[in-house]
Amino acid sequence: MLNSANCIAVSLPGMLEDLKKLKTEAQKFLKEVKDSKELENLRVKYLGRKGELNKFFDVLKSLSLEEKRKFAPPLQKLKKELEEILDKKISELSQSLKSSGGLDITMPGKKMSMGHLHPLTIVEKEIREIFKAMNFSVVEGPEVESEYYNFDALNIPKSHPARDMWDTFWLRSNQKQLTIDNKQITSGKRSNVKGQMLLRTHTSPVQIRYMEQHKPPFQIIVPGRVFRFEATDASHEINFYQVEGLMVGKDVNLANFKFVIQEFFQRLFKKNLKIRLRPSYFPFVEPGLEVDVQCIRCEGTGRLDGPVKSASQITGLTQKGLPRGGEAPFRGCNLCKESGWLEVMGAGMVHPRVFESAGYNPKDLQGFAFGLGLERIAMIKYNIPDIRLFYSGDLRFIRQF
Amino acid sequence: MKFSFSLIKKLAPGKYTKSELVEKFNLHLFETVDLGGDALEIVVSPNRFSDAASHLGIAMETAAIFGTKLSDPNSGELKFNSKSPGVFRVNIQDKKLSRRYLAGYVSEVKIASSPIWLKEILETCGLRSINNVVDIMNYVMLKTGQPMHAFDADKVSGGIVVRKAKKGEKIDTIDNQTFSLDKEMLVIADAKKNLAIAGIKGGKNSEIDSNTKRILVESANFDSASIYDTSKKLGLRTDASVRFSHNLSPELAELGIKTALDLLQKFAGGKIHPYIDVYPKKQSKKLLRLDIDKMASLIGKDLKEKEVVNLLSQLGFSAKGGFASGGKKQGKNIEVPALRTDINDSEDLAEEVARLIGYNNLIAKPPAVALGFAAEEELILLKDRIRNFLAGAGFSEVYNYSLISKEDLALGPVKIFGSGDGVLLANPMSRQLAVLRDSLSPGLLKNLKDNLRFFEEVRIFEIGNVFSQSKTGTDEKTLLGIALASKNAVLELKGLLDILLEKLGLVDYFLPDLNYDNKLLKTGESLRIETGDHKVLGYMGSVHGVKGAILELDLGKLLKLVDEEKEYEPLSKFPSVMRDISILADNQIRVGEILAMIQRISLKLVEDVDLIDWYQDEKLGDNKKSLTFRIVFRAEDRTLTDQEVDREMAAINQILINKFDVELR
Repeated sequence: MLNSANCIAVSLPGMLEDLKKLKTEAQKFLKEVKDSKELENLRVKYLGRKGELNKFFDVLKSLSLEEKRKFAPPLQKLKKELEEILDKKISELSQSLKSSGGLDITMPGKKMSMGHLHPLTIVEKEIREIFKAMNFSVVEGPEVESEYYNFDALNIPKSHPARDMWDTFWLRSNQKQLTIDNKQITSGKRSNVKGQMLLRTHTSPVQIRYMEQHKPPFQIIVPGRVFRFEATDASHEINFYQVEGLMVGKDVNLANFKFVIQEFFQRLFKKNLKIRLRPSYFPFVEPGLEVDVQCIRCEGTGRLDGPVKSASQITGLTQKGLPRGGEAPFRGCNLCKESGWLEVMGAGMVHPRVFESAGYNPKDLQGFAFGLGLERIAMIKYNIPDIRLFYSGDLRFIRQF
Repeated sequence: MKFSFSLIKKLAPGKYTKSELVEKFNLHLFETVDLGGDALEIVVSPNRFSDAASHLGIAMETAAIFGTKLSDPNSGELKFNSKSPGVFRVNIQDKKLSRRYLAGYVSEVKIASSPIWLKEILETCGLRSINNVVDIMNYVMLKTGQPMHAFDADKVSGGIVVRKAKKGEKIDTIDNQTFSLDKEMLVIADAKKNLAIAGIKGGKNSEIDSNTKRILVESANFDSASIYDTSKKLGLRTDASVRFSHNLSPELAELGIKTALDLLQKFAGGKIHPYIDVYPKKQSKKLLRLDIDKMASLIGKDLKEKEVVNLLSQLGFSAKGGFASGGKKQGKNIEVPALRTDINDSEDLAEEVARLIGYNNLIAKPPAVALGFAAEEELILLKDRIRNFLAGAGFSEVYNYSLISKEDLALGPVKIFGSGDGVLLANPMSRQLAVLRDSLSPGLLKNLKDNLRFFEEVRIFEIGNVFSQSKTGTDEKTLLGIALASKNAVLELKGLLDILLEKLGLVDYFLPDLNYDNKLLKTGESLRIETGDHKVLGYMGSVHGVKGAILELDLGKLLKLVDEEKEYEPLSKFPSVMRDISILADNQIRVGEILAMIQRISLKLVEDVDLIDWYQDEKLGDNKKSLTFRIVFRAEDRTLTDQEVDREMAAINQILINKFDVELR
């Protein structure tokens, strides 16, 4: 490049020599330039505020009047010449653009209209893909269920407080009939029971329906809509989605469940998250478990990085407003309420009464079952604060996914 | 359920702190939250009320979890002040519903305020202090889990009778409510009147008051389902009714009365008499075979018999002798503690062992299974295909509620999809959500209106189940609903339907006029979607109220018709010839008929006919429209000559003029 001009000679003849070199070089480069970007680089290099020519003008200021008279005219002349070449080159280059069709490529692209799948569809699909990769089949079941499949067959007897765990929408009692799919009803020995019809409160009835029709070993998941007679708020809806899982075989065990579910959550959240199993109670499993997964936001610490911005964010304080245990105040994770864990799933080993309901001999079989709430997973994954958004039909919401 | 940490610690002394207890309980027992102060919230699971809805039960778990010992300072033998049980007799008339009844007579009672320690525990557990006798009854319930009741003995005539209520019988309860009872409900009565709704609430007429001198203490056990049903029917939920509903062991009742009499003697100055115990059918001992291999196989962890017996013994289980297994190995039987009504199978024992070991101490193991084909149901796959197609075509997916209002029933042409009779809820939450949807259209129509506030055009779809009442039951169908609001909505929808069905491989269908009753669609702008063999798959049309159109399709029916098989057709070797024809037709004449006619005139040579332009204008005259068709001619076996095509065109022109009275332009 133009090393010579970086250091301008102090003598007048030397300066004139430098100017000459600069002229030759600049003309050569400008002639060869091919596109407007390169051209702009050259403009900055020679004619820019800190460009080569201005360096000469800087030196000019320090010269005597006599020397200025000799040096200024050729310098001015060169500046003018270079500007002319530059202008010409600019119009040349834009000419070539016009001749190539005249399209202004900086115009915005044509808007394509692409639809958006509902976030619950997207999450359900992801879940199905993960389980399919682990050899689980996907089946569905009816939303209107009989009392038998929803409760009795799942070891939730009538007049038992355990039933109160599921607030139920019942159909008018004159609709006390068999469900429509008589095929399924009549094939199971124990299932030709008439009972009040209801809106299924969980996807677990499909466990019985599937077992009545299939022989183990098998593993399935069952996505579907379920209903609860509950006042709606930011985390409760009258209808929502569950994904049920069921794996049955000769020696399917709790350690297997732990493996499958750990794999599942790590793939779903794409992080190497730990899971935690706690005792819980569901009448159709024994032992019964609750599954927690490490909080995806704070990675299990209960705290978020970053400075405390407002008083309301400070959570590491005692009631008197003093830091807890001498710690500095920190920003608590609101997703897991600082616990570091997210409750995401109920599970357990299939109860022997449930195997009996389905016509299996519980002595020969073992299995695990689990159920998770799709909305809860989607809310965690996408940071959605209110479950009601899913059923709002609001495209401003749906178009974000 | 609220618990007092200090009482737990008194019953199971040890070095643990409250927060350690909370953490361990969450991992080994029940979900537990520190409520601050002395209080804990412990979510006792519904199957554990018999043994663990009590401070004693929780203390036993605490001792097992922390490896300490139970210590109950008040568990000594009772010293009765009298040898006679008093003048009362107990007569159980319904032995099925009343499984055990213990009654203790206490004389010379001094009603006073309770000692501070007792008041504090009641307060921690959310109960109000009344007087020493009532407080002792409540404290016994908190400590042992057994609901207790005390009658003023001077207000009871003769003995206690446990019987079913009479028709029309009424009772005034201690909280000044009156309840009408039915013949299924169990009451506690004396010779003349009822005294209490059994296991639920005491009666006003036998209440303890400040003048009470002699009391009758009840510790009983009632059939759980009967108490549950009565409580539901009366809409009366009490601590006692909740506990009795959860199947308490009759063995608990004796612990209750002993504890109560001891405390009444100490803190109410009472003289206690030997209690009466009517126990028609004693609960039998429960023995379960301890099959270590089965247990290890269920949990997925190697277990040793000694380790298992040790763990279980901390919870009061005891190992008894051995049994012959397979003629060789000796195994043990496990005797289940009387209060553990939840333990019935070997799986239940496995749970006790697994949770004490800790589920987090299990090592995850991949299951060993035979490789099978993981399949998805066909309807699920069809739904996926449709969703992907529609999203690609610019339509976004919505989810609406399955419940609608009665007013929205039969909005669309619902007889296409079922009987047309709605399915009503017995217990609707609100008028807006009282009926199962019989169509996706009410939701979609609302979505169109709502979204038009923010967008100029709206393109949405939903896949969901709809319901109708049939003779055999509730009929459930999976529908696809598509809705759009745009300038040429209904024709856009029709074009979309064509390409959707083509993509799904359904070619044999036609779209006649709808002819189904509905309030949704504009007459004359709505069509049936029907197969060649006249199965109605759905409908489409312009809707009232919005510049838009809606379509619904029965996916169950569609599933049987879709054909994914595709076969290559050789590309034609001969060129096609294209001709446009513009006509001026009467407004009444429908394009569909003209298209069909053109196709029919020249069956062999017309490959395709399409409407490429149409408009209406004042200049054209009243009731006229201009239509331009593009006709593509092709022969399979030769290159068509201009003359041939001219001949065809002339024939088409002539027939259009004759049949439809059109003017060529």
